[in-house]
Amino acid sequence: MADGLQTVKNWILERHPEREDIAPDLDLIENRLIDSLSFVEFVFLLEQESGTAIQMETLEVDSIRTLGAIEQHFFKTPAEAQA
Amino acid sequence: MTARPVAPPAGGLGWANLGMDIVSVNRVRRLLAQYGEKFFERMLTPGELDDCRTSGGLDVLSLCGRIAAKEAAFKTLRVRGRFLPWPDIVVRRSEGGWPLVELYGPAADMAAESGISEITVSISHDVDYAVAVAAPIIAPTPSAPTPFHSSSS
Repeated sequence: MADGLQTVKNWILERHPEREDIAPDLDLIENRLIDSLSFVEFVFLLEQESGTAIQMETLEVDSIRTLGAIEQHFFKTPAEAQA
Repeated sequence: MTARPVAPPAGGLGWANLGMDIVSVNRVRRLLAQYGEKFFERMLTPGELDDCRTSGGLDVLSLCGRIAAKEAAFKTLRVRGRFLPWPDIVVRRSEGGWPLVELYGPAADMAAESGISEITVSISHDVDYAVAVAAPIIAPTPSAPTPFHSSSS
């Protein structure tokens, strides 16, 4: 797991101490691990860790729905993402 | 596996999808301390931020109320797979002091798709939390049924 993604995972776990781990395919929104207010903070973190500016207006829900999707969209090189 | 219940379609006379939200003062205070006012510029317009300003700086309770109102208003739209379009749901303080909701861009489109012409909202706060409840005002349509009248003879 990329360092950035691990940081993202740790960030979520810190806010949900009732959880020991987060599976890559766990729906973060359905399970209320990210809500509207934490989403804004979450975007800040993603920008910081991925080095990519994120337009909240065009961000698709599915791109941050799971840790797997986050890895795919924010922590893989274009070549890795296509493979 | 039991199927989920299906909600009736939104819209039509007498229909109102209420929205409600609660925001923790501690949580917003932490965000303000950690990131500063800039953080809230992604959620609130300059006018909204000015409404929350006092001579001592941003009033955290007002900030919480405004955030709760936006979330409550968004919930009335009942859209799936979309994030709250923060800058497009604007909650301003009217001359009378009541909050008024203005919809722009994608939020206005989502409302129009649901037959909603306006959203009315009420905000309340106490020491630790702010809450808001919102109700949509359904736009009259040409196909809307006429009000019921009893046919007494």
